[in-house]
Amino acid sequence: MSTIQLKVNGNPVSQQVDNTLLLVDLLRTRLGLTGTHVGCDTSQCGGCTVLVDGQPTKSCTMLAVQADGHEVSTIEGMGSVQAPHAIQQAFMECHGLQCGFCTPGMVMATAALLSKHPNPTDAQIEHGLEGNLCRCTGYVNIAESVRVAAKSLAGAR
Amino acid sequence: MNAPNELGRFGSGNSVRRLEDPTLVTGTGLYTDDANQVGQVHLSLLRSPYPHARIVSIDTSSAASMPGVVGIYTGADLVAAGVKPMPTVAGFKRPDGSPAVSPPRHILAVDVARFVGEAVVAILAETREQAQAARDAVFVDYEALPAVVDVSDAAEPNAPQLWPAASGNVSAEARHGDAAKAQAAFESAAHVVKLDLLHQRLSAVPMEPRAALGSVDPATGRLTLRLSSQMPSGARNTLCDAVLGIPQDKVRVVVGDVGGGFGMKTGLYPEDAIVAWSALKTGKPVKWVADRSEEFLASHAGRDVVTTGELALDANGKVLALRVWSLANVGAYATGSGVAIQLLIGPWVGTSIYDIPVVDYRFRALITNTAPTGPYRGAGRPEAIYNIERLMDAAARRLGMDPAELRRRNMIRPDQMPYKNPMGQVYDTGHFDSITRQALELADWNGFDARLAESKARGKLRGRGIASFLEWTSGNSFEERVTVNVSGDGYIEIFTATMAMGQGIVTTYAQLAVDVFGVPIDRIRIIQGDTDRGVGFGSAGSRSLFTAGSALKVASEKTVDLSKSLAADALEASALDIEYLAGRFNVVGTDRGIDLFELASRQPARQVFMESSTTVSGPTWPNGCHICEVEIDPDTGETAIVAYSSMNDIGRVVNPMIVRGQLDGGAVQGIGQALCEQVVYDTESGQLQTGTLSDYALPRIDIVARFKTEMDTSVPSTNNPLGVKGVGELGTIGATPAVVNAVVDALARSGLGARAEQVQMPLTPETVWNALQGRFPVQRAVNIPGV
Repeated sequence: MSTIQLKVNGNPVSQQVDNTLLLVDLLRTRLGLTGTHVGCDTSQCGGCTVLVDGQPTKSCTMLAVQADGHEVSTIEGMGSVQAPHAIQQAFMECHGLQCGFCTPGMVMATAALLSKHPNPTDAQIEHGLEGNLCRCTGYVNIAESVRVAAKSLAGAR
Repeated sequence: MNAPNELGRFGSGNSVRRLEDPTLVTGTGLYTDDANQVGQVHLSLLRSPYPHARIVSIDTSSAASMPGVVGIYTGADLVAAGVKPMPTVAGFKRPDGSPAVSPPRHILAVDVARFVGEAVVAILAETREQAQAARDAVFVDYEALPAVVDVSDAAEPNAPQLWPAASGNVSAEARHGDAAKAQAAFESAAHVVKLDLLHQRLSAVPMEPRAALGSVDPATGRLTLRLSSQMPSGARNTLCDAVLGIPQDKVRVVVGDVGGGFGMKTGLYPEDAIVAWSALKTGKPVKWVADRSEEFLASHAGRDVVTTGELALDANGKVLALRVWSLANVGAYATGSGVAIQLLIGPWVGTSIYDIPVVDYRFRALITNTAPTGPYRGAGRPEAIYNIERLMDAAARRLGMDPAELRRRNMIRPDQMPYKNPMGQVYDTGHFDSITRQALELADWNGFDARLAESKARGKLRGRGIASFLEWTSGNSFEERVTVNVSGDGYIEIFTATMAMGQGIVTTYAQLAVDVFGVPIDRIRIIQGDTDRGVGFGSAGSRSLFTAGSALKVASEKTVDLSKSLAADALEASALDIEYLAGRFNVVGTDRGIDLFELASRQPARQVFMESSTTVSGPTWPNGCHICEVEIDPDTGETAIVAYSSMNDIGRVVNPMIVRGQLDGGAVQGIGQALCEQVVYDTESGQLQTGTLSDYALPRIDIVARFKTEMDTSVPSTNNPLGVKGVGELGTIGATPAVVNAVVDALARSGLGARAEQVQMPLTPETVWNALQGRFPVQRAVNIPGV
């Protein structure tokens, strides 16, 4: 067991955890942040993508104890139903989601991509989201959502 | 968000932003694993590591004393408690005319385990980790039995016989058409083409794994079962009627957000039944969430058919007869849907859009030591359309004819509608030649040679593939019941028993309600997923819009009519003098009127309530023409999709954006079958080799850059009041043959000629590269003797 201190969506969190607890389970079961999803067991699907110190990270492949002292951003920190983030707004405008299960991971991966490449090329979009699987949309609207989000964020600057 | 002022923008025909989205995009949805009950315990399942084995003994003694363990149950325990096996195939016959057979499918294996991954022991513990640890301490002594996993192997005379009543491992057989007439046609034909085709086993892989949460109300003893399911009523009924033998009203099935279904989440699964039974037994809430590896092991698989298909043609390319002989691997247990999909539903569209007078269909369902098969997007129609479209391309190559031209020569004409195909299915409408002509133009079919040369200059092979086709929708269930409740509190609540799983029906239904009521769309609440509110077939077979949508339109219109007479009373006028417009009842020619919601608030129950069932008159027949161009890197065998165009006849369109999303999303699943997906069992050991997403290759974001997806809305369906046609599966059905035909074309043009037709799906780089070296897989022919 270890005591960890971290920030989650800007809020300080202190928890006692088993050393084997995954970060995704800390988020989902300890903190009730169920927007981050588990879609596989081999790190392939990206449904669990969060940001750790701004870096896109598969929370199913990180231990909670590894997050000690770090800042974790989840989908819950991106925006709300009343005030969605520009990325979320773009996904809604472009029909970039259907069942929604992969969507939080896609949004977080997009946030990471756009912070690194504010005006991404198609190749950069593919590379940035190649770790996120979607079974519903066929991806074309997701790529368009990223382009629209990039424009929207650039316009807001 | 949707502005509530311009009502016309939120009715049918508009690409209204989805009402589902704000919740889903912010991660505030409620998928089954997001739900929790106080005091819940967790279910873990010990699964068979053998493809076929006798269960000699089960030692649970170590596991029982481990921390947190609440209960451990075996198949024998469940039998002793009166739990019955799940229903299996019904309504079909074996070759000798006796009823179709299956081994009994117990909830937990009893005496024999029949596929790797079959659930054998159920362990309940306070946490998931404790349940998994205890599971690993249960010791099962197995005696391995001879096993067979490949359907062609299972059909061999010396194959292990898996069930005494299923000689030759044949569960069921169906023959359709006229074998003698077909034989005569083949003998007289100027041309005969024959292909041995593999429809590889697929896994649906919705991103949300299956999950179940059962909890009993201690006051009433009623079980509430939360499932990730497309068919809440069907799951409830099978659980109560067949498995537990309890009254239906003792169980309420609720469904929240579903992270994809694609047919895989239909029906009841053993795991659902174990959750239900153990929650009733222990009185504690029980939760189960599948690992992805459990999904690959034990969720119902798709396709898995081998076919020998033959086409007989005259000298002008007119098709005289079609033969399709197939062996379908239905898995260890022959389920009702698994058998029907291959023996009946697929054959219903075997001749597709072509005017083919004679067929000889022979279909056998075989059992093997693999997971059972069930519906997967298209469910039988992808198999049928792949067969005919591969044969058409082979025929075109043989005759030296343009593949589009050959197809057009054989298409059913509009003046032949309504058209009865050789399986007795009646197409109400279809302008197949027009759709194909539009697709050829969209794809710049005639400009291909220039693109071919340009690819060649860059060292790439290029090919084009076409699929012209139709499909059958409805899931064979034509009735839906809807309730409409206009509340005095200012909203209209509409319940249907269809089930959202990403396909956008909540928004689409709300648009239909706006059409009738003319109120802002944010006043419409669509309710689903609760068997206490209502029951029905659920969502499958692309049926929801044309069945439930039609019922919703009719129910809404009846509600307005009923409200008119209530308004007449309130306004002390004659009902004949009342008109309804945009949320208000007015006395014609006066300024007297009453708002719809105000009227509702004045009723005794502060609401206007309507319940109505509608039965549509038949399936819808969406159809399309999909054209794909690929580039192949000859050094690596990698295939890139460089162009994909489609013209789709989907009848009237309620939300174009959502319809396009279904077509394109569906197409990528079809592309996955063509290029990279396959469930593989090792034929020697019977072990599942594709048990994770590292092994089962799904398409990723780089699969297709863009789709040119167009819709022709000029041919409404005449089988439902909306004029819509079901679109959920159309893209999948067209994409697979379009892509495969394109790859075969590229390979044929590279010098292989007709030998290229020997390639089989999935067309992985290894497979394509081997083909370029002249190496092809051996695909055994299907030989089903005549009667």
